[in-house]
Amino acid sequence: MTGHVSLRAEAGPLLAVRNLTTSFQQDGLWTPVLRDISFDIGRSETVAVVGESGSGKSVTAMSIMQLLPRSTSRIEGQILFEGNDLLALPDAEMRKIRGNRIAMIFQESSLNPVYTVGFHMVETLRRHRGFSAAQARKEAVRLLDRVRIPSAASRLDDYAHQFSGGMRQRVMIAIALACKPRLLIADEPTTALDVTIQAQILELIKELQDQDDMSVMFITHDMGVVAEISDRTVVMYHGNAVEEGPTSQIFSSPQAPYTRALLAAVPRLGSMRGLQDPLRFPVVSKKTGLAEPVPASVPTVDPAAKPILEVRNLVTRFDIKGGTFGGLTGRVHAVENVSFDLRPGETLSLVGESGCGKSTTGRSIMRLTQPSSGQIIVEGTEMSALNRNGLRQMRKQVQMIFQDPVASLNARMTIGEAITEPFLAHRMGTRSQARDKAADLLERVGLRADMLNRLPHEFSGGQRQRISLARALILDPKLIVADESVSALDVSVKAQVVNLLLELQERLGLSYLFISHDMAVVERVSHRVAVMYLGEIVEIGPRDRVFSDPQHPYTKKLISAVPISDPERRNIRNGLSNDEIKSPIRPINFVPPQRDYAEVSPGHLVMKDAAVSVGPIKRTRP
Amino acid sequence: MSDTDFQAGPVAMPVRAGSFKTLMRSFRRAPAALLALIVLSIILLVALSAPFLAPQNPYDLLQLDIMDGLLPPGSEALGRDLVYMLGTDGQGRDMLSAIMYGLRISLFVGIVSAITAALIGATIGLIAAYTGGRTESLIMRIVDLQLSFPSILVALMILAFLGKGVANVVLALVIVEWATYARTARGSALVETRREYIEAAVCLGVPTWRVLLRHLLPNSLSPLIVIGTVQIARAIALEATLSFLGLGVPVTEPSLGLLISNGYQYMLSGQYWMSFYPGIALLITIVAINMVGDHLRETFNPRGQA
Repeated sequence: MTGHVSLRAEAGPLLAVRNLTTSFQQDGLWTPVLRDISFDIGRSETVAVVGESGSGKSVTAMSIMQLLPRSTSRIEGQILFEGNDLLALPDAEMRKIRGNRIAMIFQESSLNPVYTVGFHMVETLRRHRGFSAAQARKEAVRLLDRVRIPSAASRLDDYAHQFSGGMRQRVMIAIALACKPRLLIADEPTTALDVTIQAQILELIKELQDQDDMSVMFITHDMGVVAEISDRTVVMYHGNAVEEGPTSQIFSSPQAPYTRALLAAVPRLGSMRGLQDPLRFPVVSKKTGLAEPVPASVPTVDPAAKPILEVRNLVTRFDIKGGTFGGLTGRVHAVENVSFDLRPGETLSLVGESGCGKSTTGRSIMRLTQPSSGQIIVEGTEMSALNRNGLRQMRKQVQMIFQDPVASLNARMTIGEAITEPFLAHRMGTRSQARDKAADLLERVGLRADMLNRLPHEFSGGQRQRISLARALILDPKLIVADESVSALDVSVKAQVVNLLLELQERLGLSYLFISHDMAVVERVSHRVAVMYLGEIVEIGPRDRVFSDPQHPYTKKLISAVPISDPERRNIRNGLSNDEIKSPIRPINFVPPQRDYAEVSPGHLVMKDAAVSVGPIKRTRP
Repeated sequence: MSDTDFQAGPVAMPVRAGSFKTLMRSFRRAPAALLALIVLSIILLVALSAPFLAPQNPYDLLQLDIMDGLLPPGSEALGRDLVYMLGTDGQGRDMLSAIMYGLRISLFVGIVSAITAALIGATIGLIAAYTGGRTESLIMRIVDLQLSFPSILVALMILAFLGKGVANVVLALVIVEWATYARTARGSALVETRREYIEAAVCLGVPTWRVLLRHLLPNSLSPLIVIGTVQIARAIALEATLSFLGLGVPVTEPSLGLLISNGYQYMLSGQYWMSFYPGIALLITIVAINMVGDHLRETFNPRGQA
């Protein structure tokens, strides 16, 4: 690093954005979506641009790259890259900069599925750097090696679908690096990835940046990622850059009210240590930056009460058919011998990475997926023994909230119709009673009763999730299965919906089965936590015990991979790992091993036999 | 409860393609499609009000004069204040009036058969998509079988069995066409069935028939409307073919196809108008419907898939 310091001093910033204003044309009107944005990116510096959806962070990147359609967008201001104003450059010159001097990576990999990974790389290298075919191939292998793709030479001829999500993102980074760019713009590159994979990619970007002396503009919505990666941070809100400064300063003494509100809404792992009950997020006004006091948590669980939900030895497997005659070739052991209890007023969280079976467990309880074996007992009644009608009745007790606030409401029904439909379907009362109850519930979830006649598209994501909640509550359920219900929401909206869930739990004594991959939110909302890995529960216990004293290696790994909202730890390099998430696909004759659990403290069970390989543990928390 | 997430207000979402306003706006942007829509509206209007617009009732024998037979376009009627704009046929029937009345039959047969086939096909397709498994396989194999026969052949066989008649033609067309709707409905419903609002409805204990009718059907409708339009044109053409071959509608209720067939024998003797003008009317109708249908497909289906 020392060699570059002088370089940084002698020249100005690599990229200087001055008074950038971008407008989009809509119905003949020019509406500004970015207003007067100015910031610098120094040489070998990482600048995070952070904001919620619609804040204009991606438009900023697109403006710099001039990837916006000319006819419907207008960019004003200056974008100085190495001293040249990009906005004044002719198209041909800009093309030379794009990809060569400034490279970009996106959330989804943009690999063409019909070409091999090697083809993409060789093509880029030959076109941009004038290599011969053989040279380009050699260079491609070297680049794949640099992004730590195991046995790079042999993987060059693989297609995009043969790589996992994390590996595809590595390939994208390798392609971006092919032309030795001075600036890498990364637009939410880790958002679609699991937390352990995200940690790997962040580590990789940091390492490559050190080696190549490259600047990075990192666009993200995740404050944890910001703290982990950036030197300086630009906070965006509604098209304005509301605050800019060194990351540590933004975190330690945020100035703008919006930044304060945003930081208050960011769940921080470890902030709940020593607390037994879930705690609401502090609410900070985006206008004034002042915090409202957090209501103290109310104990909602009666330890002596009979469980409302008992799951015993639940197994759900899916057949994989293949071959010429469609014979059985294997099985996905999505859920394998899972047992747990849930008491009234309690929140049990199922956590784990993609493919660990947490969603399938929830869906099996709802009978959206038919379990292969095991018992699901709701209030003492065994679900599998019920006929169609009994199942419909039972579904009144157990409700589900889905992940996607857009997809979970029928776009062609008003929300009034949507909320009253189940009430009427179960003949719980008259039409006017249904409407009264729906109006009441809407107010309860923080909306207005006069919104009943609106259609779902008139609402924002957070509001729709409230509507889904109101719809579930109209049947007076006792248990709600929340399958990644807050994962798709922006940070501040997420905090509000979590607060609402906790408030409803206190008032109505609801039980939640909270399914999530987000460890920090889980820490906030749960009484107990079950960690799932490859379809099995590896550790289950009181939340405080699991988070402060994780026993199973996988739990430890999962917790350590969560980005920490503490910029002071940024310079700690954690070493790179290449572990991929394993898949629970097994051959037909696979017999799942018998598992034993050790009780390390009251109610805290850990799977014995750590023979399950989860890979090395890379980081430990101080 | 804080109200901060109201500040953003309702999110500006792209309006669903189903909205009537967007549809009209999209027509304004495509002049050719707009023209087709106008032409189609005129055709529909003419067909509906044929009894009031037509110079004579071509099937009221009292209004026909055999002496006026085989007159070329533009001739005047003998002893009456009537100009045969498009000529007359062998019985002295005004071709313009015959075409107007023929349009009624053609459009009636086309629209009724398309709507009936759509209702039956869509129901079967939705059931297949929603139930899945064996039922779905069975239904879809029947659909495949049906679609693998040339439709004209199937229709001919049915009509040969049932005999002539408007109702029989409609029935034959429904039998020929339901499978297309079933396949389309299944395809679009299959996408929707996996969406969370369907699962939400199931979890909420909404009865299956309601899930199908209130949730699945309205959301699977757009592609059905699109192929529906094109299928009307197809049905009209098929009916014309059948009538031309003499197996379609009876002589008492002639459609455009039958008019073409009737005039065909005079073609070689130079009296072209008896086949030519009904042919032109058929052509314009089908082209207009197809253009409107194509435009609907582009609007509803930006990726250009059929």
